[in-house]
Amino acid sequence: MKYESLPGFVEERVSFGETTVTIEPDRIRDACLQARDELGFSMLCDIVATDYLGWGGKGVSGYIATASGRDLNFPSTQGLQTLPELKPKRFSLSYHLLAMRQPPERVRLKCWLDDGEQVPSVVSVWPTADWHEREQFDLMGIAFSGHPNLTRILMEDDWEGHPLRKDYPIGGEPVRFSDAQ
Amino acid sequence: MAKRLRDYGLQSERLLWPTKGPSRFEEELGAEELERALGLTTLEKAMRWAQTRSMWPDTFGLACCAIEMMSIVSARYDIARFGMEAFRSSPRQADLLIVSGRVAHKMAAPIRQIYDQMLEPKWVIAMGACASSGGMFNNYTILQGVDRILPVDIYVPFCPPRPEALMEGIIRLHEAHLAGVPPAYERKEVAT
Amino acid sequence: MTVAPERPTRDWPYVAPPQYEGSRIPSPIPTVLPLPEALAQSGDVLRINFGPNHPSTHGVLRLIVDLDGEQVVGLSAVIGYLHTGFEKTMEHKTWWKCITYPERIDYVGYQNNELTFVLAVEKLLELETPDKAVWMRTLLCELSRIHSHLVYLGTSALELGAISMFWYCFREREMILDLFEMVTGARMHTRYFQVGGLAEDIPDGFFPECRKFVEWMPRALEDYLALLDRNQIWLERTKGVGLLSADDAVALGQTGPVLRASGVDWDLRRDEPYLAYGQLDFQVPVYPNGDVYDRYRVRVDEMRESTRIVDQCLRRLERLKGRPWIVDDRKVVLPPREELHTSMETLIHHFKIVTEGYRVPEGEVYVATESPRGEQGCYLVSEGGPRPWRVHFRAPSFVALEATATCTHDALVADLIAIVGSLDAVMGDTDR
Repeated sequence: MKYESLPGFVEERVSFGETTVTIEPDRIRDACLQARDELGFSMLCDIVATDYLGWGGKGVSGYIATASGRDLNFPSTQGLQTLPELKPKRFSLSYHLLAMRQPPERVRLKCWLDDGEQVPSVVSVWPTADWHEREQFDLMGIAFSGHPNLTRILMEDDWEGHPLRKDYPIGGEPVRFSDAQ
Repeated sequence: MAKRLRDYGLQSERLLWPTKGPSRFEEELGAEELERALGLTTLEKAMRWAQTRSMWPDTFGLACCAIEMMSIVSARYDIARFGMEAFRSSPRQADLLIVSGRVAHKMAAPIRQIYDQMLEPKWVIAMGACASSGGMFNNYTILQGVDRILPVDIYVPFCPPRPEALMEGIIRLHEAHLAGVPPAYERKEVAT
Repeated sequence: MTVAPERPTRDWPYVAPPQYEGSRIPSPIPTVLPLPEALAQSGDVLRINFGPNHPSTHGVLRLIVDLDGEQVVGLSAVIGYLHTGFEKTMEHKTWWKCITYPERIDYVGYQNNELTFVLAVEKLLELETPDKAVWMRTLLCELSRIHSHLVYLGTSALELGAISMFWYCFREREMILDLFEMVTGARMHTRYFQVGGLAEDIPDGFFPECRKFVEWMPRALEDYLALLDRNQIWLERTKGVGLLSADDAVALGQTGPVLRASGVDWDLRRDEPYLAYGQLDFQVPVYPNGDVYDRYRVRVDEMRESTRIVDQCLRRLERLKGRPWIVDDRKVVLPPREELHTSMETLIHHFKIVTEGYRVPEGEVYVATESPRGEQGCYLVSEGGPRPWRVHFRAPSFVALEATATCTHDALVADLIAIVGSLDAVMGDTDR
């Protein structure tokens, strides 16, 4: 569709009424520039990084169907028994864009990264990306190249580790009679 | 026979003259019992009474509990009845630190600095579940109770406490202080 | 590296001419007002710390301010003093238990956060909530909006010296909290929205009380306008202060009252309707100047519109008495307790939901709602298990604080307080 012209385009997918466009990580800045200027996505809502370490490892089975597969009074209905779809790399970085027109349009530009892979910063496209990228660097350890001030923002400046990664423990103290921890 | 001042245990140079008659002061009062005409107290009790009636809190709102702390200043749960509506911005002028909200590790150093800047006597109320024990957050960033870094006098539970609950905590602090309980920094160390 | 975006045309949703020429976004770092070299050399500049504990009630925000006399010449914000790790904590709780957490993020407009999360989970589950739940959620979210704007008005006015506004605003706030307590049992952090609808039915005594509030509120708003709007001191302290042009606001990702006060007509309730907003009749206030005064007027007008919305929801809800308040899907929602005595399947459903928790299908969604501060978004990734895989909240206050440096152009210290107050940032929302 119309997103094919974005530089670095890999694939486009629609699920739950939302469009997700996968872009190569090193072309993401050009793609964002084109999205802002030509496609009219003038506002960057959010930049989110997700860590998929351990995804699908447990093999989810049992009831995980959508509304059409659920039956009210039969608890043994298994619905569809599926495993979650495997992801190409460990981290995904999602840019949520908004076009303020009638009807409004939202798109998610996504790129897949390995641990330590750098991605160009989009601060020059939308200045609001400044703190969003700092937050993802702080909590997830994604390195943005070309960011004017890539320092920790939510944790203390000398904190070690990136808390939101899956291999970082939840911390806290053990509490009696509670699970996990 | 009218009680004399020395019968109350009060010392004065006039009492060294045991045969002296009643003084002008005692004659003017004319009361059988001096208690009817005078209030007698000790200096400590008087000081405690004054401290309790005007214990000024420090503006230390951290999170959700701060909103409930603001509502005790509002007209319905009026805290001005207790003389406490003057929230001092400077810790050097405040007596009471109401830690209202969750304490992150990054905030622990400023809290301790503010507590150290307060002049004695000073009290700490841990308002809410997060300040008392970490609340519902048991993770890498929230201090599991502000009593890890400060000696706390009163813990007020719930999330967030109703304004009446906070006032109950404050009133209990007043009563404890009137009864002579020393502030927490004299009684206990911080929890480790 | 330029940070000023070029805008080829100006059409809808821009409704005002540019408030100033060009862009005032500082460079190279958009969120830091840099100290000019000449001033730094002169030795006249005082660097002070508006530390995490300061007497305004905005919470723990730290501003490092460079002052030349009374003029602010350098500014940078340090946040993170209330970082609670919501996102990580929610990854370790079941979907049911997770609902308690989002409320504490924006602790002044708490029901909107809960709504965003619950709507995101319902989107993944493809669940349709019953009418009564939809209308009640709309009503409670609008009451929450009024509550949030009242707290904003009371505390902002308090900081600028209009101290008695605090007591007036909190008088109405107590009325709203009484309504919340009547319905949900708690004044703050009500946790009333459940995936699938509401947690409990609406008590009968709620409707007359809410109607009394709806009739009283417009008079209270007249009181506020009488106290502030014709007060010369208030006008001088807020008009022309903290200018933010529409282009800069969009480039900085601002939403909500800050965006609407800069002359951009964008409101998610009207443009991307969720809940019952598509069927309601309300106006969206937009003001052209982009200063502190306009942001205050947007919020007061929003309070008036919210009262009208609450009125319409009440009339609709009174006709829906006796209808179900939560969807009947036993895989996700607890069955009614009376059935537990008679039906084996109900017992099994109840057990599964309480112990393991329901499972949400695999996928990712981003749901945005219009909270009192702007666009509150929830990005949810589910693996298909009983716990979320990744939850991220797009916090409007986080983004609003990015605009501090741009608004503080030629400002005095007193103006800085007004500007930070008008951006209405709640630190729980900023730091999450």
